[in-house]
Amino acid sequence: MELNTIKDAFDRVTKKQKLSSSKTQEVIDQIRQEIENALDRMQSVNSPDSELDYRSVLRELNTSLRNIAPLSQMEGPQKELNVALSKYVKLLERSFNPDISKAYRNIVFDIRTLNQIIASHFYRQGLFDIGDHFMSEAKEPEAAANMKSLFLEMFHVLEAMKNQDLGPALNWAAIASDKLMQNGSDLLLKLHSMQFLKILQNGSRDEALHYARTYLAPFASSHMVDIQKLMACLLWTGKLDRSPYHALLSPTNWDKLADELKREFCNLLGQSYNSPLSVTVAAGAQGLPPLLKFMNVMAGKKQEWQSMTQLPVPVELDREFQFHSVFVCPVSKEQATEDNPPMLMSCGHVLCKQSIAKMSKNSTKVFKCPYCPFDIDAAQCKQLYF
Amino acid sequence: MAAATANSASRPSSKLAQLTESLKLEHQFLRVPFEHYKKTIRANHRVVEKEMSAVISGVADAADGNLSRDDAVNHLSSLVSRLQGLKRKLEEGNRAEHLQAQKCRVRLDHLESADAENMSEWNSTRLNRILVDYMLRMSYYDTAVKLAECSNIQDLVDIDVFQEAKLVIDALQNKDVAPALAWCADNKSRLKKSKSKLEFQLRLQEFIELVRAENNLRAITYARKYLAPWGATHMKELQRVMATLAFKRDTECATYKVLFEPKQWDYLVDLFKQEFFKLYGMTLEPLVNIYLQAGLSALKTPYPYTIYCYEDDCTKEDPLSQESFRTLALPLPYSKQHHSKLVCYITKELMDTENPPQVLPNGYVYSTKALEEMAKKNNGKITCPRTGQIFSTSNTINIYD
Repeated sequence: MELNTIKDAFDRVTKKQKLSSSKTQEVIDQIRQEIENALDRMQSVNSPDSELDYRSVLRELNTSLRNIAPLSQMEGPQKELNVALSKYVKLLERSFNPDISKAYRNIVFDIRTLNQIIASHFYRQGLFDIGDHFMSEAKEPEAAANMKSLFLEMFHVLEAMKNQDLGPALNWAAIASDKLMQNGSDLLLKLHSMQFLKILQNGSRDEALHYARTYLAPFASSHMVDIQKLMACLLWTGKLDRSPYHALLSPTNWDKLADELKREFCNLLGQSYNSPLSVTVAAGAQGLPPLLKFMNVMAGKKQEWQSMTQLPVPVELDREFQFHSVFVCPVSKEQATEDNPPMLMSCGHVLCKQSIAKMSKNSTKVFKCPYCPFDIDAAQCKQLYF
Repeated sequence: MAAATANSASRPSSKLAQLTESLKLEHQFLRVPFEHYKKTIRANHRVVEKEMSAVISGVADAADGNLSRDDAVNHLSSLVSRLQGLKRKLEEGNRAEHLQAQKCRVRLDHLESADAENMSEWNSTRLNRILVDYMLRMSYYDTAVKLAECSNIQDLVDIDVFQEAKLVIDALQNKDVAPALAWCADNKSRLKKSKSKLEFQLRLQEFIELVRAENNLRAITYARKYLAPWGATHMKELQRVMATLAFKRDTECATYKVLFEPKQWDYLVDLFKQEFFKLYGMTLEPLVNIYLQAGLSALKTPYPYTIYCYEDDCTKEDPLSQESFRTLALPLPYSKQHHSKLVCYITKELMDTENPPQVLPNGYVYSTKALEEMAKKNNGKITCPRTGQIFSTSNTINIYD
């Protein structure tokens, strides 16, 4: 899409608009000038037989206004402006999808569910104020209260981290340390290391050493290399930024740490790291174009669209939207379902159950694998779980 | 996730193509402020035309008439000040036009600023825009304003345009049709072109209210004046509503009873909204509904929406692992796939020729990498994370699909 063409077309519109409006100004001034001139002349004549004079001035004024023909003078530029305006609208319609609801199925989303999803989204983004407002305007003050309380603590912790205050984060991680360990996370150590560096940067070596003895030592068995590096930092107390370890002070480390904390926090809450609303809308932005293309081609099939159980065209989403395995039977081209699961044949190839049933005439005869010269006995096939 | 980024970064051209395609969805984003701009231009022009004609015919009247000299002078002076007033009005109008043109430009720039390599901020702005659109349509105006302010996207949303709708909707909810009728008059030619029956419906409602108040004579006069002109196109409805004169407000006859019900007012609000959206080039459905439908269908698959997944710790990152998203997705079609896409349950990485899937004797499939790593840590033993069964590496089989 050429945004520049659109910009040019828009510039044309504003140019025509300026021309038209300066023409209007000009005409107004002209008329006013004429009337003022007439007024002057009427007032300057003071003779007793002026009775006649002022009438002729009025008549003259009337004629000259008719000659000026202000409305038809403005008409030209106005017409040009109108042409530019409608051209721009047509250009927009041509360059964009003028109606993205073409691929919309006429079903009513349950407003309550949708509002709950939106409110949860605000809460999990840390927009508590907006979430509260939204809920009260939507008249469902309690619908996402649960989500709010879950995320309040997390944002309290993250907010403090933004101000380089690790207190709340350390408190939380200490309480959750068992669960963190179970998930294989070393977040607690990372938080303590950051705190240690902060103390060092402030220049108090003794305090840093003390801190390391208390909080870092317990991790020695599992993270020896990391801790050795941190201990070497003690040599550069107060001038860490000029040491070989200056990378440890990079501000991006704080962002990374906050990000990791958020990930672990969400994980322990049983929530996703990304807002599911963001993910779905982003998937929609990728999915809509091919669907709209299809609907444009199949303009007459609007009726079928309302009832089909499967999308008519494949929608390729980015890898980040691939959350679980999808198995498509290479013979029937159907996606596996609970009733039609993927089955492993003795040769190592996989087909869906129904395809195997068909090829084996309901397990009554041995058949050839469609991909290799193996003979397959349906009874030997085994269900797979991806 | 890291693998995904590396993978997609290697295909910059397709990323760019994808961005172009998703930008094409933004018709409403550019169209609405432009319609607003156009409307202001037209309104300003109408004012000029009206005032100019008035001044010219004022001069013509003075020339033809029989005014005294003093009266003529006064008359002309009043025309001069009228022109001065017009000029002031015009300047104000120009300022409004300029602001709206500015808004159109900001939006073009915003589309241009989308960078295929770094979309996360742009995408989150898009989501906020979509949410503000939803709130405005649902009349959650306060939240809409707040969200626009805190995400600093005032120029990217249409709060100003919706002010116009709010006025009409609020009045209709208070059973007042006047602002709606004024709106119809303002947009007469466009409504006529699209064969809108909004004005007719509003007139019907006013008539019904007169019948409800048993003000029959006035009702009949009203009908003659405002309903009769619609006879050519809407005779049936007209006849039906006229019959209420005979049936009266407490009728039990279903055909006429419904006309007196308060929900007729809700219907008018809906009808007005439809016309309003059309006029500004907006979609009739909220954007969030459109995007969600497409997204849910694209993510929906027939397989693991059952006991396998979601009961245990299957990935929470899938929006469809949430009850509320599944509720919305229920009546929607699921996605079409030509090829299998296998994702390792343990590492969440794609299983392909580089990292092929292997099956354990219990039928559960994992990626080679995941199994090798596990075996390395546990002296060649593999524990199936879903069943707890323990196997040795020699028992796994490569599978091909």
